[in-house]
Amino acid sequence: MRDVETRPKKYGWIVILALLLASLPLITAFSLLILSSFSTHMVTDLSPGSLHPTLENWINLFHGKIATTGGIRVNIWRIALNTLIVALGVSGVVTGISALAGYSLSRIDFKGRKSMMVLLLLLHAFPGVALIVGVYLLYRLTFPVNTTFVGLYSFVYVILARAALEIPMSTWLMKGFFDTIPWEFEWSGIIDGASRITVWRKIMLPLIKPGILAVALFSFLAGWQDIIYVRTFLIDPTLATFIEANIEAEYSHMPLIAAAGTFYLLPTIIFFVTAQQILLQGYSGGIKG
Amino acid sequence: MDRRKLRELSFFLSPMLLMVFLFYLIPLVMTVYISMTRMRNWNVERYLTDFVGLYNYHRLFYMFQHDPTFKAVIMTTIIFVGITLIINVFGGLALALATFFIDEKSASFYRLLWLLPRMSPIAVYSLVWYYFFHGSEIGTLNSFLMHLGLISQPIPWGQIVPWGAWSVIIFVNGLVGVSFGMVVFTSALNQIPKELVIAARVDGASSWQISRRILIPMMRWHLLYVLTWQFLSLLTTYPHLFLLVEWDLVNRDYGTTLALYVFNTAFGRGEQDQGLAAAAAVILSVIGIIGGFVTLKVLKFERMMKKPRGDF
Repeated sequence: MRDVETRPKKYGWIVILALLLASLPLITAFSLLILSSFSTHMVTDLSPGSLHPTLENWINLFHGKIATTGGIRVNIWRIALNTLIVALGVSGVVTGISALAGYSLSRIDFKGRKSMMVLLLLLHAFPGVALIVGVYLLYRLTFPVNTTFVGLYSFVYVILARAALEIPMSTWLMKGFFDTIPWEFEWSGIIDGASRITVWRKIMLPLIKPGILAVALFSFLAGWQDIIYVRTFLIDPTLATFIEANIEAEYSHMPLIAAAGTFYLLPTIIFFVTAQQILLQGYSGGIKG
Repeated sequence: MDRRKLRELSFFLSPMLLMVFLFYLIPLVMTVYISMTRMRNWNVERYLTDFVGLYNYHRLFYMFQHDPTFKAVIMTTIIFVGITLIINVFGGLALALATFFIDEKSASFYRLLWLLPRMSPIAVYSLVWYYFFHGSEIGTLNSFLMHLGLISQPIPWGQIVPWGAWSVIIFVNGLVGVSFGMVVFTSALNQIPKELVIAARVDGASSWQISRRILIPMMRWHLLYVLTWQFLSLLTTYPHLFLLVEWDLVNRDYGTTLALYVFNTAFGRGEQDQGLAAAAAVILSVIGIIGGFVTLKVLKFERMMKKPRGDF
């Protein structure tokens, strides 16, 4: 809902100006990062003199030449692919599991349903760090002896462990989306004797496509932005651990790290431009009862 | 419950329950167990069965009384959670109300902008503020102030203890947290009947009066929800602090909250002490669980859980 038309126009501008002022540090900080990636030196303020335009950082980044001197080489595409695998994995696991659980919490009445919903809410508030110590011990105890599977195992494990963090909230979100579908849609199917599983797959899933998209997008971003879990469990580097390691390295060239950061930020920006409504609405969906 | 319903239920629920079992229940039991062993440097073979009872809890208590580093961590946790919570709740409220009173297009723009800190990769977000608060003249803040002539030497902001370090971590995390309040309050505002605002406008009320007398009183539940939920999340999350400390942007002792202390003690550089970390994690979990239950009771969440429609 928007405010009504009777308000005086000029006050709107004051509010917009105040918002702009409050947002200034945020806008400045992010734009300086992006500008610096196109400059030979770090751009420290918005005065035109401090920008020395160049594409060198990006070229060096894509060739994996991360040091200004010497021959240190990395495969940035491989690192980006690792990040993408984790993000897609988390997204797939979270979306699938919460679409299943959300349906039954929304539509089927069973003993323990209420306590299960309370449990999910509590798990959402549960301290992740308390878990990660235990999750790591489980990882160590189940670590494969055969070294050929070690890399694969660490990918599977980090995806499942990170997905587990998102599942309580996503299940609630998905339940909220199922709640908005009128009951009559499944009615005909159930009257005809179809099982709930068939009804879920054939009737309900196509109806909540927007919900599935929202949950998939949110969990993708959760997997994409993660640093704690990938640095703890994943053997291969991701963009997050690449940036973490290179800030401190003696040889690192700051504008090149800025380029790496901008590169890492790209999917987020793309989603911001293309999926605004999903981002703004999806967040509020999870808190309704 | 007949057999068919049971089969259907297990189809829908078992993947979720399996994940909860594997990644919440087992780890919780394991954390409690590790907290009673001498586990260090993840030397599982040697220390997994080295049972020491409540020794690690005694150590924590002793450190709480005598170790200045640990005292700094506790102090930082209290200040950080307290001030960031206030910023998050009132900042979120201010953003929601401000975007409520402007046109739809600008409102969407600002809401998206303020979602950016939460949605950005954590490493990039930390990198942005690393440049901003950097202690040398390449730091944006130092550069600005030197241009204006307010300071002649670059200031290492995060290394000024305690308030310099505290200000940086509160600022950086405050910006992440406000979006939660903003989104919750915005969806609450959208549910308030439009007639109330129209009637007040016709009577000549200003935006400020409408906010104070109508909108905020109607959002009491949501205020409480944001307050309690954000409290728990600030107490227990640490990803947005981790790199700031790791990169030495902020002082180690006064930039570390209890949750980050647990993580660094278990996984950080140098000597790792998982027994001690697990004991601190268990204390955090107990606070988290109690806080969670209190929240649910205060907010009366159960009343909102209706029976599913039309099920038989």
